[in-house]
Amino acid sequence: MNVRRHASIGFAVITGAVLVSACGSTSTVTAPPTSAAASASSSPTAAAVHTGNPAGPQVLSEAGSSLLYPYLQKLAPGITAAFPNITLTPAAGGSGTGQSEALSGTIDMGGSDAYLSTTQVTANAGALNIPIAVSSQAVNYNLAGITNLKLSGSVIAQIYQGTITTWNAAAIAALNPGVTLPATPIIPIRRSDSSGDTFIFTSFLSATNTTWSSGPSFGTTVSWPSVSTELTASGNPAMVDTLHSTPGGIAYVGVSVEGAALVDGLGEAELENASGNYVQPNTTTVTAAVTAGAGSVPASLAAPLIYETGAQAYPIVNFEYLIISPSKVTSSDSALAIRTFIEWAISPTGGATTDNLSAVQFVPLPTNVIPLVNAAVAQITG
Amino acid sequence: MILVRRRAGGPPTGPARVARTRSHELSTGDRVLQWVSGVAATIPLAGLLFITIILVVWAIPAIIYSGFTVFTSDKFFIGSFYNPNFSSVNGIVAPYGASYGALTFIVGTLTSSLIALVLAVPISVGGVLMLSEWIPRRLEGPLSTFLELLAGIPSVVFGFWGLTVFGPFLGAHIFPALSHLGVILPFFKGSWAYNGQGLLTASLVLTLMIIPIIASTTRQLVKRVPVLASEGAMALGMTKYEMVRVVTIPYVRTGIIASALLGWGRALGETIAVLLIIGMANNPPVNIYGTTSTLASTIAADLDSAFSDGTGMAVRAMAMLGLLLLIMSLITNLTGRLVVRRISSEALPVGRGV
Amino acid sequence: MESRAPRFRHLKGSVFWIICGIALAAIIAPAVAVVVSVLVKAAPELKWSLLTNTTLNVQNPGLQNAILGTLVLSLGVVVVAGPIGILGGIYLAEFAPRRAGGFLRFFSEVLAGVPSIVIGLVAYTAFVEALHWGFSVLSAIIALSLLTLPYIVKTTEVSFSQVPRSLHEAAIALGLSKITTIRKVLLPPALPGIISGMVIALAISTGETAPLLYTAGFSDHNPTPGLFNNPIGYLTYVTYYYVGQPGARDQALASAAAGVTILLVLLLIFGGRAITARQRKMVARLDV
Repeated sequence: MNVRRHASIGFAVITGAVLVSACGSTSTVTAPPTSAAASASSSPTAAAVHTGNPAGPQVLSEAGSSLLYPYLQKLAPGITAAFPNITLTPAAGGSGTGQSEALSGTIDMGGSDAYLSTTQVTANAGALNIPIAVSSQAVNYNLAGITNLKLSGSVIAQIYQGTITTWNAAAIAALNPGVTLPATPIIPIRRSDSSGDTFIFTSFLSATNTTWSSGPSFGTTVSWPSVSTELTASGNPAMVDTLHSTPGGIAYVGVSVEGAALVDGLGEAELENASGNYVQPNTTTVTAAVTAGAGSVPASLAAPLIYETGAQAYPIVNFEYLIISPSKVTSSDSALAIRTFIEWAISPTGGATTDNLSAVQFVPLPTNVIPLVNAAVAQITG
Repeated sequence: MILVRRRAGGPPTGPARVARTRSHELSTGDRVLQWVSGVAATIPLAGLLFITIILVVWAIPAIIYSGFTVFTSDKFFIGSFYNPNFSSVNGIVAPYGASYGALTFIVGTLTSSLIALVLAVPISVGGVLMLSEWIPRRLEGPLSTFLELLAGIPSVVFGFWGLTVFGPFLGAHIFPALSHLGVILPFFKGSWAYNGQGLLTASLVLTLMIIPIIASTTRQLVKRVPVLASEGAMALGMTKYEMVRVVTIPYVRTGIIASALLGWGRALGETIAVLLIIGMANNPPVNIYGTTSTLASTIAADLDSAFSDGTGMAVRAMAMLGLLLLIMSLITNLTGRLVVRRISSEALPVGRGV
Repeated sequence: MESRAPRFRHLKGSVFWIICGIALAAIIAPAVAVVVSVLVKAAPELKWSLLTNTTLNVQNPGLQNAILGTLVLSLGVVVVAGPIGILGGIYLAEFAPRRAGGFLRFFSEVLAGVPSIVIGLVAYTAFVEALHWGFSVLSAIIALSLLTLPYIVKTTEVSFSQVPRSLHEAAIALGLSKITTIRKVLLPPALPGIISGMVIALAISTGETAPLLYTAGFSDHNPTPGLFNNPIGYLTYVTYYYVGQPGARDQALASAAAGVTILLVLLLIFGGRAITARQRKMVARLDV
């Protein structure tokens, strides 16, 4: 049921997007003039994204983020169907692998859940963060009969700090007027292994709770406050399984797993956003967050999309990136293949179809981010 | 007795030695073969040196940065890459807040491998004695194939089984019973992961993985127990148990110690099975069921995140963990093989005991 | 031996043997449990499409790329570690001066005790990064070769030294050169032992994951020619990766890969054993 809900909303938004960027499948897209396009190449005109089927066969190697990997697996047959000379070879391995292999030029594109750090950008002049989709994270709970539970980042932080210990605590009751909450103890479930999911979850807690930001702060692993009831799980499937078997539990899971969580009948929390509204992750709310964030997205496209302002904005959102090092792209044919792939991948008439995106619960790039991506892609000239 | 002595003496005294000729008798073709095969025979040693040198060279900056905190701190954090500031210790620059204390992993490695060892030694020795003393000869062969079966199961299959079958079973049925032991042994108290992921499950799987190493050595040595001695013992009116205690056990004791050391080395370095089962928590285990991580599993799981470090220090910290693991496994291996040289290196398996 | 009543002595013995029986059961039961429960999980997933599709096929994923990749890597081990290990074993059995031989043999066996993840880490540092080979077939083959080399050296040496003394003496009496002695006299009876050693080395490399994670990378496509910058799929990775993924289809693929891996490895091991058993009979006949 819930999966279908995601998909149908996705369809509505995508129909709108088609009108805006219907030129997606043609061979030339005009990007807005941008002064920030500090091209690493010697090409004098980087204003237009020239795309098309390369003259000879081109293999685009990709490795990295295991969140992005299933999505790229879905795109691989499509790109070859649209441009017969392009073959995409995606691989998992992790975001760090994607970043380092792309920067050293061993692969053409590195999949990453996070943008490059300042050190990496300094050491690798001209390296690009290219967002190709938007991911988000849900907060789930196991409370029989209670749907649409409202929670705020600050309250969740207090749960994970052990200062809020029962579901009927005053702070939770205050957010849920009219709901009869049980006195069940809260069992916070967290990832024991190092994970990008922990990174964005703790980023959200840090953005909403000062005790958290000055304490555990954020990272792929953090020093979790000791909570006597807490449980840990290693890996996303184990998070869902553990929550499912733990009445009173609360857990954070990446949206790609959310389908399994919702099928299992777990509750999905409505989270308070920066505007004070309560929202669940879906195409509308996630797109609202990126659209709001896009206004402040720099030309480098390095943007955390946590706790963005906007009436409908979902607070735990992130870009899924392809890291590309234009100076390592040696041939113009290879550059053409990369540009063509990205242009196709972000186009709703290309790779960013409802079918492909909803399979992994991703959301397409909002229309105001696409010109920024095109400007960045234009710098890949070989 | 003489036959046993000769075979137990190891390869240097094997029959092939008889044919050894002095090099001045060799033809040109023989010299070429001698030279080429000599180079080939040094490659394993060269590989060992290569591994050691690469790890030392790569680890040096991380060692300078960490000093003794490697052994005293359980805070392993590769740093905030997005922080504009850096941490600098002893002239080495790392991402802000970076700390490479390996205590958690050292504790995790030692506890998981020692629990496995303590269980695997009696199981292997007891099982082999049962097999050799009570099982009819025609059943011995088929039964010993189970040892080969255990030896042959790949690490990732053990991990898959531990994660999807064995762990959930322990978590649901065995740990609740075991927790009653908490009255006497406090570390049996407390909670466990729903799917059983954690130290004890990992240790039990490691036990299965090292049984073949210890059992195959014990089995070979038990077969070589001089018939005169064992039959003599029986003739003196000893029971089978007394014969085993007085004749067999003393004869195989050194071999068991040696193979236990090798098995320990294998358990220290086991990676994928442990990675899937131990829960990979960045902290020492809170109780015997607790999630934690080992040196080997941390390298496999976190090398990827280390690549994101623009200063490159995180990868060097991984090399430091690798060096620690190499030193631990070299100590157990060198000791094990030195101990056994006095009896028989032929009986000691190379690799996983297959 | 002890001046206790015989009944007590027998009771003590019985307790000891009951414990030993339990120990034997504790070896047999888990060995059966692991293989049976993995195969039971895998059985419903074993379909022909596993052999005809690759992991890239999202609707109906298969293992073609992983099986072919594992075969390519195994072939690489045969080509790289095979000759080196066999020559090294021949040197230790036929040429090495006693002390040098003992020294080389000792460190070869110590290399076998180096954890496979350490070999993977070093291969990553040296080949993938420092030499810019990237995730590549060659760095994976070197890592696997380092892992299996000691095993091949040892089985070759043992096979040669088990050739009966009478054959050595006959060769010397005929005045044959060393190289002819090895080729014509010693190799034929030693060969099955060497081959079974190779087969078991293949079983080890087929079942390994840790040394390949950061050297082979992984690829959803079937292997392509090229030793450098060319990631390659392999069976164990499929189980490792997909068991950590959420979907039912992912879990099914992990089970299937675990089942195929275990079948392949057991086939190799028992195949190797069968060869050794035949060799023993053959050598026994030669020993006059």
